[in-house]
Amino acid sequence: MSAFYGRFSRHAHGEGLKAHSTHYCPGCGHGVAHRDLSAAIAELGIQDRTVLISPVGCAVFAHYYFDVGNSQAAHGRAPAVALGHKLAHPEAVVISYQGDGDLASIGLAETISIAQLGLPITVLFINNAIYGMTGGQLAPTSLMGQKTTTSPDGRMPAMGQPLKMAELIAQLDGPVYVERVALYSARERAKARRAIKKAITLQLEGRGYAFIEIIAECPTHLKMTPQQAEEWVKTKMVEAFPLGVKKDLTVEPWFQRPAPLFTPEAVLGLSGAEPCPEEEPRAPAPWPAHLPARDIAFKLAGSGGDGAQTAALLLTRAAIAEGYDATAIPSYGPESRGGTSYADVHIAEREVLNPAAPAPHALIAFNALSLAKFAATVPPGGFILYDSTLITAPPPLPAGRRILPIPFTRLAAELGRPMVKNVVALGALQAALPLLPEDRVLATLQHVLKDKPSLLPLNAAAFAAGRAAVGAAAPA
Amino acid sequence: MSVPARPKPYLDPQYCKGCLRCIEACPRGCLTAGTALNPATGLVPVELHLDNCNGCTLCLQACPEPYGLRLETDRPGPDGDFVLEDPAKLFGEKCVPNHSEGDLPDDRIALPPCAPMVLKGTYAIAIGALLAGCRHVYGYPITPSTEGAELMAKILPRLNGVFVQAVSEVAAVNMMYGTGGAGLPCMTFTSSPGFSLMLEGLSYLIGAEVPGVFVNIMRGGPGLGNIAPEQADIKLACRGLGHGNTRALVLAPSTPQEMLDLTVEAFALSFRYRNPVIILGDGYLGQMTGQVRLPGSMIRPGLPAWAVWGDRAHRHNLISSIALAESDLEAHNEHLNRKYAAIAACEQRVDCHRCGDAEVLVIACNTPARMAKGAVESARAQGVKAGLFRPVTLWPFPIDALAEILPRVRRLVVVEAGPGQLEDELRLALSHAGIAPPPISHVRRCGGILPPEAEILAGLLAPAEVRT
Repeated sequence: MSAFYGRFSRHAHGEGLKAHSTHYCPGCGHGVAHRDLSAAIAELGIQDRTVLISPVGCAVFAHYYFDVGNSQAAHGRAPAVALGHKLAHPEAVVISYQGDGDLASIGLAETISIAQLGLPITVLFINNAIYGMTGGQLAPTSLMGQKTTTSPDGRMPAMGQPLKMAELIAQLDGPVYVERVALYSARERAKARRAIKKAITLQLEGRGYAFIEIIAECPTHLKMTPQQAEEWVKTKMVEAFPLGVKKDLTVEPWFQRPAPLFTPEAVLGLSGAEPCPEEEPRAPAPWPAHLPARDIAFKLAGSGGDGAQTAALLLTRAAIAEGYDATAIPSYGPESRGGTSYADVHIAEREVLNPAAPAPHALIAFNALSLAKFAATVPPGGFILYDSTLITAPPPLPAGRRILPIPFTRLAAELGRPMVKNVVALGALQAALPLLPEDRVLATLQHVLKDKPSLLPLNAAAFAAGRAAVGAAAPA
Repeated sequence: MSVPARPKPYLDPQYCKGCLRCIEACPRGCLTAGTALNPATGLVPVELHLDNCNGCTLCLQACPEPYGLRLETDRPGPDGDFVLEDPAKLFGEKCVPNHSEGDLPDDRIALPPCAPMVLKGTYAIAIGALLAGCRHVYGYPITPSTEGAELMAKILPRLNGVFVQAVSEVAAVNMMYGTGGAGLPCMTFTSSPGFSLMLEGLSYLIGAEVPGVFVNIMRGGPGLGNIAPEQADIKLACRGLGHGNTRALVLAPSTPQEMLDLTVEAFALSFRYRNPVIILGDGYLGQMTGQVRLPGSMIRPGLPAWAVWGDRAHRHNLISSIALAESDLEAHNEHLNRKYAAIAACEQRVDCHRCGDAEVLVIACNTPARMAKGAVESARAQGVKAGLFRPVTLWPFPIDALAEILPRVRRLVVVEAGPGQLEDELRLALSHAGIAPPPISHVRRCGGILPPEAEILAGLLAPAEVRT
């Protein structure tokens, strides 16, 4: 039984002897490993389900030979490609077949990270201690003293020691089964066959990730006969790469993935979309005549935690719900917490063009730094609202702007929750610069708090407090 | 000694490379090194002496050639070719459902009308991808694109989908190669430095004709640069998708609404052409919250006939970008060129604003196009016949539409938040089309600064520098 094509039509278009012969050199360990893998696929009856990932290296043409689904990966990326296949179709049996340059050098990050994920794929690692396809260069697994074209005087200590991948993979938490096998004798070949079959079976049964390192011969680049190469593997390589099982966990089958959901209810619900009855939306309120333009910019500036972003989004939502166009852009300092936090908001009757607010019509400053930084950007006729609880000694402010010191923090604290100072600020803005109908702003507040209705009275009170404070604020 | 009636080995000498690995394997000395050169191969095949053979098959397991040592019972048929057993007979009932031959088409599922949403740009893209049927997202966190991936990480498990935070962008793009090669829609969110890392993988996707959607929320460069919005990857997306003869559709949204709409479109285009599609946004678009209306339908993806899926119907398929013979690779490149030509002919998209009678034409995309629109309005208010030509596809550049407008245009002004890569695309497109353009000037800012409307207006009214 075999999983090979009856005719290798991809090998030189299947012409002549190439229709039934591989591109491998005489005595190559890849050929033996191919026959082992073919036998395992055939004996397990999984030829239809198998997806084989060919690497870059001598096995790049594995898809010439294996009559299974085939994907040819970039150098070192076969495990990533294998994972992509396994997650696309969990029923597929996905096998990543890689050499030592591919797996243990350029692809180390993929090799280790995907082994650690532990998803059930099968990785077959052909370690022949040398680069084959590029012509006999140093491999990460070359032996100390081994002469290659890039270690012409032999592998020196400064070139590093041979990388023991099976041991390295075995100490990860992800894999369930790791074994190193060889091909140099009938006895070792029998073990190799068993190991490959077991590794695939663990995948079939959904038990986990398995890694088989196969010590193989490269007679051509070792400059040996196949017999000498077998002897070299047996005496030299096995000394550096001890054979045997490195990890073998007993794990119950666990891997199963339900089919992806494509129901509108699920997609819309998780996206936060709200189906609405088909009715004509209320026409937007006429654009207030007191505004200087058809596109009004706001800047809300403070530190992380002041609620500038939340307030900006609330304003934006309310404007869009009203039927205007609106945008909000955040800007943060490099700190993840406690740094500057600015938001630029635009509300336009028809279309926001420039979404940044370099010259905001209204500035809401939550701290002294923000006030000092942005007050001068407010053009004449604009509004500057600031938290007079925190900014007791404001810097000189430009003339010709309406300056509104409002104790955002104190008013919020009086309501028992200082964090609602941003809603106090929105209430003050509403009073100072009525752009949106107040019922729209309150309805939006209610909407965003629909999952926390207990907070609504507090927020409504904060809005009202800010609104009332404007009348009381003495122009500075 | 009785010889069991097990089949003995058989060797067609022309498939033996004479490696002699089988000799040591045989405990009964049935194989010896050959002495005669095989005229067909120039190699010396092993010789079999099977009188003493008990059919143990150990020699078969030592043979590296699939059609080297085989069992007598596997001798080729009279036509000289090897006949495989019918897999159905051999392997029995299949536990994997087979898809029928040919493409399994997408399902389009109607959506109820929804209230307009207020979404951040990266979220709009994520929701667009969900509606387009994407359930596989791979990525690596990078500002300012991460929120899209975060939303996917939250939503996808609840839709039985997958978000994998890969070890790097290099791994992420290759996971896309796997899932895309299996025929399913998949995507990534990244930003400029991450996009650089994905370029090798993109070349493989393009070479192997694997679909996939890449969202690059561009930031300031070169190197680590900063996280402010710069249009500095237009060159990469339009001209530099890794090694070789590569092209991909490049879509440039300018509003949160377009972030969603163009994402839905990107998946369709990616499968229509079996090619990656790039969505280039700028940092403003990624972070900006605005109004988004949902489309009237969503997609349940089918499965294309070419997919490497892992069932019998798709077993013969191969996803690969290697073609060893020069003539094969040339033919593949010619095939790709025909595809690129079809894309260039059919997929040019542009949004024209007051271009009908424009004498001064602004060319801008992404967020700078919004400022440019404001400047056009201001210029019009001052009596200047200005218009905005906003390419929605950066590759292919919408040169056909521009060619129609150009005869009336006296001056072109390219507005960019970047070092001039859009202008390069414009000039290349004009050159390839053999169009002698009117004088071209530009308004550019770099480092993450958007060209302010006032500067654009000044450039519209009196160009600082005019090059032809």
